[in-house]
Amino acid sequence: MAGAKEPSKPKSRGRKMREAAKGVIYGMAAHGHVTSALRTRMYLEHLFMFITLGDMLGVPVIPPYYSLRILPYAVPNIKSWKQRVFRERDFTDQVF
Amino acid sequence: MADFLNTPFLWVVGTVLVYAVAYFVYGRWIDRNVWRSDAKRATPAHMYMDGVEYFPTSRYVLWGYQFKSVAALGPILGPFIGVTFGWLPALLWIIGGNFFIGWLQDYGSMMLSVRKEGHSFGPITYEFTGAGGRTNLLAFVLFYLIILSAAFIALIATFWNSFKGTTFVPTIGILFAGLLCGQLLYRFKMNVFVVTGIGLALIVLSLYLGTILPVVLPWGAWNIAVWAGVCVLILYIAAILPTPTFIQPTNYLAFYPAVAAVILIIVGALATPFTGVDIKLPAGPFLTDPQGLLGPIWPILFVAIACGAISGWHSLVSSSSSSKQLDVETDALPVGGGAMLSEGLLALASLIAYMVLTPAFVFGIPGDPANPSHTNVASWPVGAALLVSKLLGVDAANIVLTTFFGLVLIVYALTVQALVTRFFRLVAAETWGEGRFRLFGNKHVATAVGLGVPWAFAVSGSWWALWLYFGGANQLLAGLAIMLISIHLARVRAPTKYSLIPGIFMVVTTLAALLWQTWTFVYSVSLFLQGDKSWVVRNVRGPIQTDPNYLLVAVGINAVFVLVGALLFLVGVSMAIRLFRSYRSSVAEARAPVAADGGTPKE
Repeated sequence: MAGAKEPSKPKSRGRKMREAAKGVIYGMAAHGHVTSALRTRMYLEHLFMFITLGDMLGVPVIPPYYSLRILPYAVPNIKSWKQRVFRERDFTDQVF
Repeated sequence: MADFLNTPFLWVVGTVLVYAVAYFVYGRWIDRNVWRSDAKRATPAHMYMDGVEYFPTSRYVLWGYQFKSVAALGPILGPFIGVTFGWLPALLWIIGGNFFIGWLQDYGSMMLSVRKEGHSFGPITYEFTGAGGRTNLLAFVLFYLIILSAAFIALIATFWNSFKGTTFVPTIGILFAGLLCGQLLYRFKMNVFVVTGIGLALIVLSLYLGTILPVVLPWGAWNIAVWAGVCVLILYIAAILPTPTFIQPTNYLAFYPAVAAVILIIVGALATPFTGVDIKLPAGPFLTDPQGLLGPIWPILFVAIACGAISGWHSLVSSSSSSKQLDVETDALPVGGGAMLSEGLLALASLIAYMVLTPAFVFGIPGDPANPSHTNVASWPVGAALLVSKLLGVDAANIVLTTFFGLVLIVYALTVQALVTRFFRLVAAETWGEGRFRLFGNKHVATAVGLGVPWAFAVSGSWWALWLYFGGANQLLAGLAIMLISIHLARVRAPTKYSLIPGIFMVVTTLAALLWQTWTFVYSVSLFLQGDKSWVVRNVRGPIQTDPNYLLVAVGINAVFVLVGALLFLVGVSMAIRLFRSYRSSVAEARAPVAADGGTPKE
């Protein structure tokens, strides 16, 4: 059947070890930085959403006319925005 | 071939075997019977997946991340104080502490956070001990960060002042390479492999430049204060700039020499039967340190060697980020427990680097004017160079080799300290962000306070006194983390004795160490009041130590350290009491019979 995925072949021991080694090196060298960059982008997105859709929180930052113009682009992010903004964060969450 | 039994080889093999038992036997038993980890139970990474904070990650990636996050200066410097009591007790604590307590804490903190929907220790403390407990934790962490910063700044300054001044230029080289690579990576979108190549080439170049352009300050006893000032300036910039600009790329580049050094030392230690490097330091045990600086083996040894045996910092790491990315519960053992046991091997490698040095080099010879009693805190690079020199076919005194290991030592301290300073700023914003003292929540003011106070401690107090306060606070945090774990286990009616006994041991030991250290300063001041000034000047750093004009300053510093120790002790005791009360009520609740209608008797 077109488009159907073929069952993946079981990985050989050598391939598993290569992937594990790659994962360990990535984890040591870059994983923390990648998550930190993602978090920085998240905060910038929060700011963007707050500025553009502040009326949703009762804080109109820009005139509603512009908010409505931006709305179609912002709608896909509203759910995840709410989820992240409403999440309780503590100082112990910010160690890394 | 050297006398086989007198080389560190057998101790390395023996420790690896004991750690294997800790992981494969004790660890799996605890995982199966106490926490009952279940691969089918949804973890917070799946339940709250947002692709930023919560997302499932491979256990190999997380292991690498966890190990890199917990391995810093602690496992390298701690054993240095430990060997004062002889290398055997230090080794036994690294083995036994990690076997019974260390991995259990890292793994337990991770499992606790996973079972509490990915919450970190702040909200968990709030749940178990109320708002007062969380405020108490906040105060304790603030003190802890100040003392930690003071110890690290003092050590970085000492290291720059050692090794004939060859390590400063390479340090600046790494920082410059980090800044440049950050720009190339994020602004010019260059390929990460090319950027890494450029960065590593710059590090090698700066290492070479360091050996031909040593920086030796001319101010004698004031050198440390100036070096500490330079360190504070660098840390201030690191804490203020956005992380992708400075901290991230610098830490990334620093990772390569740091890991290369660890691998080299472990290989060097395993090859000692063939390279002829044997143990020279005395095995001990000495029940009190022969130099009379530190005190009795209990409790001092148990706080001196923190990371590598057990460390409270790890519990914060395990519960703040790793637990939110754990794919399945059964990964907690390899990630949390496995990373901690691996760090034990790093501590072992560091211990071996000290064991192969002569006592005269590390501690001096009492009564010998040419080599008087001292504590050579910069011994590690010399021992490390000795271990690997014959493998590489170079002389042990090769300046490139000692500069490389010296640079690694500094980089370990500097990269972690940059993160600690940033964390202090965030905690300060949380504490003083609103209200009358909101000025202290300001980004620049908080960073200035978080570096200024530690700088003052670093340039005035002895590094070993700072290290013992840091170790005491760090180990106490570990004890408190284990108590939180025990409370949770009691609430879910799981066996608690495997965590409660280590928890009580750590809390009692660390409080005793803090009390001892505080008493040392009290005793020094009281002796001064009776006319004996020797103890007061013993606890401070030059030039205050040697210049009679600064005698009253020395007394003042001792008095400040009394205050710091007393505050740490009181905040720690208060936290411990809250946790023990919570544990007792949790046990009582768990033992209470369940009402017939399914509700609890209270209902």
